[in-house]
Amino acid sequence: MSKSLQITHNDTCVDFTFSGDWVLRVESGEVKEQWNHFLSQKSPVSLNCRFFLKPDSKWDSSLLVFLLKARNDLIKNDHSVDFTNLPEKLQNLLSFARQRTGEKNISSHVLDPADEGSLFSFVKACQQFSTFWGKWLLSLGQLLLGRSYMRFSDFFGACRDCGATALPIVTLIAFLTGLTMAFVGSVQLEKFNATIYVADLVSLAMVREMGALMVAIVMAGRTGASFAAELGAMKLREEIDSLRTFGIPAMDFLVLPRTLALFFMTPLLTLYADVVGILGGLTVGTQVMDFSSLHYFEQTQSALTNMWEVYSGLIKSLAFGLIIGLVGCYKGMFTGSSSASLGKSVTSSVVVSITLIVICDACFEIFFSFMGYR
Amino acid sequence: MTVSTENNWIVKVDGLVLRYGRNTVLDDISFEVRQGQCLTVMGPSGCGKSTLLKSMTGLLRPVAGNVEFRNGLLWGKSDSANQEVVSNFGVLFQGSALWGAMNLLENISLPLQTFSKLKNSEIEEIASYKLSLVGLSGCEHLYPSELSGGMQKRAGLARALSMDPEILFLDEPSAGLDPINSSQLDELIIELKSSLGITFVVVTHELDSIFQISNDSIFLSPSTKSIVDQGLPTTMKTSSKHQEVLNFLSRTNAVDQDPL
Repeated sequence: MSKSLQITHNDTCVDFTFSGDWVLRVESGEVKEQWNHFLSQKSPVSLNCRFFLKPDSKWDSSLLVFLLKARNDLIKNDHSVDFTNLPEKLQNLLSFARQRTGEKNISSHVLDPADEGSLFSFVKACQQFSTFWGKWLLSLGQLLLGRSYMRFSDFFGACRDCGATALPIVTLIAFLTGLTMAFVGSVQLEKFNATIYVADLVSLAMVREMGALMVAIVMAGRTGASFAAELGAMKLREEIDSLRTFGIPAMDFLVLPRTLALFFMTPLLTLYADVVGILGGLTVGTQVMDFSSLHYFEQTQSALTNMWEVYSGLIKSLAFGLIIGLVGCYKGMFTGSSSASLGKSVTSSVVVSITLIVICDACFEIFFSFMGYR
Repeated sequence: MTVSTENNWIVKVDGLVLRYGRNTVLDDISFEVRQGQCLTVMGPSGCGKSTLLKSMTGLLRPVAGNVEFRNGLLWGKSDSANQEVVSNFGVLFQGSALWGAMNLLENISLPLQTFSKLKNSEIEEIASYKLSLVGLSGCEHLYPSELSGGMQKRAGLARALSMDPEILFLDEPSAGLDPINSSQLDELIIELKSSLGITFVVVTHELDSIFQISNDSIFLSPSTKSIVDQGLPTTMKTSSKHQEVLNFLSRTNAVDQDPL
């Protein structure tokens, strides 16, 4: 049975009678319109409003909420409200609810309301990141002077985590990158009857660009995110605070070993990816295009006579490793105090590092070509 | 109450003002902690107890005022706390905050490895001794995630004790513990206080603990953002001039509700 409300006017006395099922699962029907209609008929005198509930009707919170709202509306219009004819249980709940609504509102902006996404917050974040970067440099200086709290066991552990254990995924990605480039290149080069130049294309693209870039992207998604998540969780569980109360700087103890490990491991992985990528090209060259392996290798060798091609890729990857490590740790260390903010930190560590990697890559290329290194 | 001569303070909080952004949490807090005593900081939830502790342990820089220890001021010119002063005290965090990547032995050894000149074997002995102090001998090689809440708290206490601090700050030590575990922890605190002479500053709102462990206490009120009453809790319960304090300590809600 749907909810219904019956309104009977009787001089200065108005009776509201509820009937039907006033339960959450039943639709409100036209009760709301009825109520608003009643309120819109402005009465010049103060009315005495009495409320009744038909004995056979069911009720739950939905009736309670309606009554509380009705009471507020009526009092606003200077009418008097009489709940005494309602069942006792309902009256008790109503008075209980009234007691609780009197408490003061607590502001939800307990923390600084820095508007997210505004230019101001962007500038602030940049400032914060440069401070972090500066502190990192100071901490590195301390390490070089032999006064750091960094434990070398942590450094080697981090090297294993971001170096050796990343080999399978790097192998897969680099091999497929080389393979894809060979396929794409062969179609174009066939038009000029120059298919053997696919070896030049794959090897040059791999060592100059794709090796470093692919490794950086894998590292950003894999290691950078794990740094952010690990440090962020430590922040949430007050583990970083407890380091501080012992006087052990988190920068030395947590950030430095991780960033340095990534800084040293990324070039090594890049070199490895270069080789695997060339092997990917070789696979297409020998299996699809029918070159002999020797022929393909000789062609590759002639393309890479200048070792600068390889070094330029490795220089880039050093920068990429640093970017990923710093961004990951920064995002972790500046995680807010909720688990939602941890998720945000991890996401943004990946997004920010990939963005910075692409920007940095472009800057390197522009620099190299203007300086005549290409 | 034990000795209470005037000049045996060990921590002096002077005019501390604490803010989060624009929101003032505590305004002009001053009190002293006397040596060898257990001072409890109490008050209803949200009154800034933990914030006060953060500032006293060098984690939150006050807007004004300072915290003075015997060997100097905690907050100097730089943004972070004075390292030399920090080495005076140990802290037990609300969630224990043990380092999850290390086992208990490593957790307790880390400060020793970092700051002492001892050999590794000696450090291990000390760490095992500290664990036995809190009744966790034999758990050296367990990781924090393998421990129950009560054991984590005790391990946190052992780590806080690792550098033989003069003062221990405990943030809600009995939060989330069952009555038996929490009373065991209280007994441990009393024992450590009497046997090692450690001064305790305990933030709590567990009434049983308050009455059991404290020699002195301060009551923070969220409405005035300051200390409304201080003294021995048992005395405060009967003779405090503030309704708020009386209600808190006798666990009643006698504030007149708005009748409407």
